[in-house]
Amino acid sequence: MDEFKKIYPFSAIVGQDEMKRGLLLNAVNPKLSGVLIRGEKGTAKSTAVRALAALLPEIEVAPDCVYGCAPDDLTTMCAQCRERLAADGELPRKRRKMRVIDLPVSATEDRVVGTLDIEKAIKKGEKHFEPGVLAQANRGILYVDEVNLLDDHIVDVLLDSAAMGVNTVEREGVSFTHPANFILVGTMNPEEGELRPQLLDRFGLCVNIAGIPDPALRVEVVKRRAAFEEDPEGFARQWEEEEERLRRQIVAAKALLPAVRISDEMLFLIARIAVEMGVDGHRADLVMMKAAKTTAALHGREEVIEEDVSRSVDLALLHRMRRKPFQDLAMDREKLQGVIGGPRQSHQHNHAH
Amino acid sequence: MGDYRRFTFPFSAITGQEKMKKGLLLNAVNPRLGGVLARGEKGTAKSTAVRALAALLPEIEMVAGCPFNCDPDDYDRLCRLCRSRLADGRRLERACRQVRVVDLPVSATEDRVVGSLDFEHAVKHGRPRFEPGLLASANRGIIYVDEVNLLDDHIVDVLLDAAAMGVNVVEREGISYSHPAEFILVGTMNPEEGDLRPQLLDRFGLCVQVEGVTDPGERVEIARRREAFDADPLGFIAQWSEEEQRLRERITAARRLLPAVIIAPELLDLISGLCLDAFVAGHRADIIMAAAARTIAAWNGRTGVEESDVYEAVELVLFHRAREAPPPPPEQPEPRDEQEEQEEPPEQEEEDDDSREQEQEPPEEPAETPPPGQQDPEPEEKEQQEEQKQDGEQEQDAPSPAAPQETVFTVGQPFPVKRISRDRDRILRKGSGRRSRTKTASKAGRYVRSAMQRKNDDLAFDATLRAAAPHQTRRPREGVAIAIEPVDIREKVREKRIGNFLLFVVDASGSMGAQQRMVETKGAILSLLLDAYQKRDRIGMVAFKGHTAETLLPPTSSVEMAHKLLEELPTGGKTPLSAGLIKAFEVARAHLYKDPNISPLLIIVSDGKGNVSMGAGKPLAEARRAAEIIRDEERIKTLVVDVEKDGFLAFGLARELAATLGAGYYKIDDLKADTLVQAVKCLNDA
Repeated sequence: MDEFKKIYPFSAIVGQDEMKRGLLLNAVNPKLSGVLIRGEKGTAKSTAVRALAALLPEIEVAPDCVYGCAPDDLTTMCAQCRERLAADGELPRKRRKMRVIDLPVSATEDRVVGTLDIEKAIKKGEKHFEPGVLAQANRGILYVDEVNLLDDHIVDVLLDSAAMGVNTVEREGVSFTHPANFILVGTMNPEEGELRPQLLDRFGLCVNIAGIPDPALRVEVVKRRAAFEEDPEGFARQWEEEEERLRRQIVAAKALLPAVRISDEMLFLIARIAVEMGVDGHRADLVMMKAAKTTAALHGREEVIEEDVSRSVDLALLHRMRRKPFQDLAMDREKLQGVIGGPRQSHQHNHAH
Repeated sequence: MGDYRRFTFPFSAITGQEKMKKGLLLNAVNPRLGGVLARGEKGTAKSTAVRALAALLPEIEMVAGCPFNCDPDDYDRLCRLCRSRLADGRRLERACRQVRVVDLPVSATEDRVVGSLDFEHAVKHGRPRFEPGLLASANRGIIYVDEVNLLDDHIVDVLLDAAAMGVNVVEREGISYSHPAEFILVGTMNPEEGDLRPQLLDRFGLCVQVEGVTDPGERVEIARRREAFDADPLGFIAQWSEEEQRLRERITAARRLLPAVIIAPELLDLISGLCLDAFVAGHRADIIMAAAARTIAAWNGRTGVEESDVYEAVELVLFHRAREAPPPPPEQPEPRDEQEEQEEPPEQEEEDDDSREQEQEPPEEPAETPPPGQQDPEPEEKEQQEEQKQDGEQEQDAPSPAAPQETVFTVGQPFPVKRISRDRDRILRKGSGRRSRTKTASKAGRYVRSAMQRKNDDLAFDATLRAAAPHQTRRPREGVAIAIEPVDIREKVREKRIGNFLLFVVDASGSMGAQQRMVETKGAILSLLLDAYQKRDRIGMVAFKGHTAETLLPPTSSVEMAHKLLEELPTGGKTPLSAGLIKAFEVARAHLYKDPNISPLLIIVSDGKGNVSMGAGKPLAEARRAAEIIRDEERIKTLVVDVEKDGFLAFGLARELAATLGAGYYKIDDLKADTLVQAVKCLNDA
């Protein structure tokens, strides 16, 4: 746990609730496939992502597997684990925290997708695959700071593997395929340029954040930061109780999630929102549904209610709306209110036919 | 190495997207259709469907253990190994295996695609041996490329080369080898990310446009099924296995029936007529359409092709080949013809440079397209009149600040703009400017292949090892398996995907609404965009109006996106020229930071009448200062397109702006006049 001592505690971040919610939802449900945090400089974007690492729940992995395969999930297992499972009937297991893997903007392609193992080639004259960042990030979080500055060809590679949760390598003499299911978390400052639409869509959720306008809260931000810098360990201890509470909430929500139900009425509401708001494709529906279920789970409920849906709309749709010139990346609130306000009538209306 | 098995969403469980499913199924029945390209917006089950198809593919007979999946009954296409086996008097063992789907990731390097020296074998035995690549495994199978428009040019060249001949010829690294490589291409792409090269596009037999489903009920069903699959993939697959089996049987039945399907001569005439009407290049379209019609008949369990089969095939075959929307067939009242008309207009995918002049139609307005040369002024005038009717009050110059009204003008007729691009070539390009030549000297970019040339110590380790491998039995080795000598060193050849970066800076203020300037301006920008597309440049767009400037289009290679935005761009309000210039400067500088090799070219389209300032200064003075800032950044080139009409009231402010910027200066009408000059010159040269 030492490594976490120097990290600013998640629960000590002042305000920015939407961002924190986006991150927590992903910690509970990795199928949400990530969050993009857009905001100006100095709004605790990176701090929050780093802090999340300390809150992530433990997962069960096969101990010597580079990809951290789940010992019981045949469908996402790497080839090696599958062979072992077939031979031994069972895989060894251990628990470890979900990982946060950094993808620096300067990363090269061979390091990202993996490449020829140089050492083995020189020493033994054999060809082996050396796993890259995508392998490490399997079942964890792939974090890209300043994701909009990422080189285009690295983005292409990310898109390719994020699409199917599989990384296929056909380069530098090696041919290899392995699972690469990762939660993509990115931060960006829109002033430095926007993201490509295809990459944007790969982020399950998106939040826009801004500096806090309330003077009292701003003072609180400065105070806490000062306290942290003076005595990081003392500060962490002070917040440990709160952190522990959050951690328990995440674990409980994770356990509850498979049992959460969503009614047809809510599903229709989601579909109507997606159609009315004019989003491309169907990923928005799926993400909204997952986010609503996860929100319900975080609140300890087994049934998705309308509030869960309406709270997921912003997160899931903000970056998927078709933008028109001179319109901000913001929601058409009135239109949305219209859809959320009147879904029941029209749903019944549908039935009447 | 690693044979990772995927558990994919079952094909039959995909809701809607009938056209895409049909295209894929037809290919499973008849591989001669030459593959399919699924083109559409993100998140519409494109990749899911293609992956799922793999499970439905039929089994074929092949020589057991042959790396090229040879057909034991087709002597002409046997590989060397099989031939030598036969020559030795041995029999070819048979095996049945499902048609293979080979993944080609966008990060693939050349050596793995075409095959290369077997490095392990060379080290151990000191002799070179060919190690088959992806083209070998894909023989008689499918090459699947997700996001095919992101594939590197060099890899595309290799694919095209092999696809054209049906043979993969390898001459590299001391290896000389050739083997059969007949494959069909299946790809998905999102046009927002840029378009495909026409040559590659033509290799796809069929093309389907995929769109999101808008019916809430169906959307709910999609979400429900996906959730069920995510929760329990194995259970979900089991639940659909019966349905999958039924599809598989139908494919097998259609496959068996296919050789017996005959097509009447009249229908062949119909096909060639349809192809002619669509101005397709070459004959591939005719051949594939006939094959597709026969396959559709077989799929429906018939041995005779009906007219409806042909019409069903039209859409699949001509979508990506038509160079103009299929014109309405005269006096044919069938509903299918209407469908055909409504079909999405063709993309701007030209076959080659020669035909460019004839193909400057905007993608969205096929109905108004004048004939080539387009000196026919009628459509434009009509459009203008309509505009004038609609926007009578916008006629006055000087927009009233109290009510900054917004108007969205249509896009004027585009026209070829050859001269400008040539000037640009002189400024920016070193070589011929084709995208494939933009190899970078730095270590940035994607590693596509290796070379012996040593330039910047960018070691291509795999290639170096392969070069050293055959000599290992003779070289002294001290504790390592491989001794590398300087002659073995190979360097990486990297490729970047873009040529130039053109940033359009568009004035969208109220003054642009006067005298239909915006219509013309949009037309001019579209023309420049199309030109940029053909040159494979990267484009961006900044617009300014009211009090702000905005980056409408971050640097992209998608003309489609740019066109969409251009259409929707409203006009109205004041002219914050300085804000526009500064915004453009920021975008250009950010791009320089990412890509120092590429000098951005700002194309400023305005009348230069700035009347809003960002700070306290006078608007025009501020604009001049902004212009000086841009001028002082030497890597940014500029060009001003003046949209002001000549006359007594002309201010000539845009000319001044150009002078301050040290920029090239064009009147909007000059652009068109140049075309004439150019056209005349071309005629004389010919």
